[in-house]
Amino acid sequence: MRTYPISRRAFVAMSSAFTANLLLVMPAMAAANPAEDFVQDNIHKGLELLNNKQLPADQRRAQFETFLLGLTDMKRIADFTLGQYRRSASPADLAAFEGAFQNYAVAVYQSYFAKYAGQTLKVTGSQTRAPDDFIVATQLVDPNDKSGQQPLEVDFRVRTDSGKPVVVDFSVAGIWLALEERDQFTAFLGQNNGNIHTLNSHLSELAKQFRNS
Amino acid sequence: MRVVRALAIGFCGLALTACATAPATPEMLANNDPYETTNRDTLKFNGKIDRYFVIPTVALYFVLVPEGGRRSVHRFLENLSLPTTFVNDMLQGELKRGSQTASRFLVNTTIGFGGFLDPASRMKIPDHGEDFGQTLAVWGTQEGSYLMLPFLGPSNPRDAFGLAADIGLDPTTYIHFEQHIWWDAGREYFTILDLRAQTYQTVQGIQRSSVDYYASLRSLYRQLRDNEIRNGRPSKAEDLPDF
Repeated sequence: MRTYPISRRAFVAMSSAFTANLLLVMPAMAAANPAEDFVQDNIHKGLELLNNKQLPADQRRAQFETFLLGLTDMKRIADFTLGQYRRSASPADLAAFEGAFQNYAVAVYQSYFAKYAGQTLKVTGSQTRAPDDFIVATQLVDPNDKSGQQPLEVDFRVRTDSGKPVVVDFSVAGIWLALEERDQFTAFLGQNNGNIHTLNSHLSELAKQFRNS
Repeated sequence: MRVVRALAIGFCGLALTACATAPATPEMLANNDPYETTNRDTLKFNGKIDRYFVIPTVALYFVLVPEGGRRSVHRFLENLSLPTTFVNDMLQGELKRGSQTASRFLVNTTIGFGGFLDPASRMKIPDHGEDFGQTLAVWGTQEGSYLMLPFLGPSNPRDAFGLAADIGLDPTTYIHFEQHIWWDAGREYFTILDLRAQTYQTVQGIQRSSVDYYASLRSLYRQLRDNEIRNGRPSKAEDLPDF
């Protein structure tokens, strides 16, 4: 509702992010690049996988997990979300956190992307942040939507510095997920004396709830 | 009623600032949230108000008013806010968006029966929101420290001031007729009801998936506002953190 700082549209966007116009040409808009092709091919594949109702739910979930882990760099995302606490974490704590984060992220991302099963993805352009760092802009189009609303904008951050393209973050309507996770995790650690074990337990509990829902 | 609300918003901001006596930790300062302790208490308070007063009313609204009716109420309230959006479009120099807002208002107020219907969307006239907090941001005003306002939720001094100013920019504030207090009260009531009805599932989803609900709301609010201020244009790649 416009009367409040968070408008109805913002909440719709937030909803999209959790349940998840390129009107202007981006300044550094480049011609099609490997990151764009990578996003176009793989995200479409992921959506198709989630939309495959012929597969039993457990099998679909397992296949999506394998697909997601091949598409993303979970270790890098996990390390990023620890923020300043990463520097002081022991290697053992870091390894335990990366495991707990992966388990949590797969459960949560699957839940997000499942909302968009049946929709099609269109790459609309990309920005180059560095020679190995791209932001690929896409629109998710719902073929059954008759409301006249703008398509949902989803951006993917793709790094290619490891030799193959990997997704390290994505944003829905301007909200970057890994940024939001970092804000949460560092706040949680700030409230819990920086105890990464407590965070791991909490992540495991949340992942369990998502998988059972 | 609306003037009272504007004053209340300003008072809430001042009261929060005055109440924030707990020393800020380095983390709080790093997050531009020196009043975090007070803000977290306010979120708990808002949660209780929501749980015991707002949600039961929303539940009743869902039972008594069918989906089509709720959608019409939502459209009507949205249409009422378009004059404020138009003024802010103009103040930001967004002429194209301003003309879209004016077109939507004209179309929906006339052939949309006062806004209860939305023929403008079928005519492909895009919808968008705009408020004075965004206008101040476009003019270069910094957001200030994060605030959790009682009853109103996430904000900051810039947006809290903008919220109060929007009431002053709304032409309906100056239309006085007999018993207008009932109109104002009814509009406020349905605005809250509609907002909470629209966001019920979203908020539930955030609560369910959050490691730290307060920090999640803070991050989402900032990112959403930033996106709104850019009018959905992509953020600059260099503004994103290193990965």
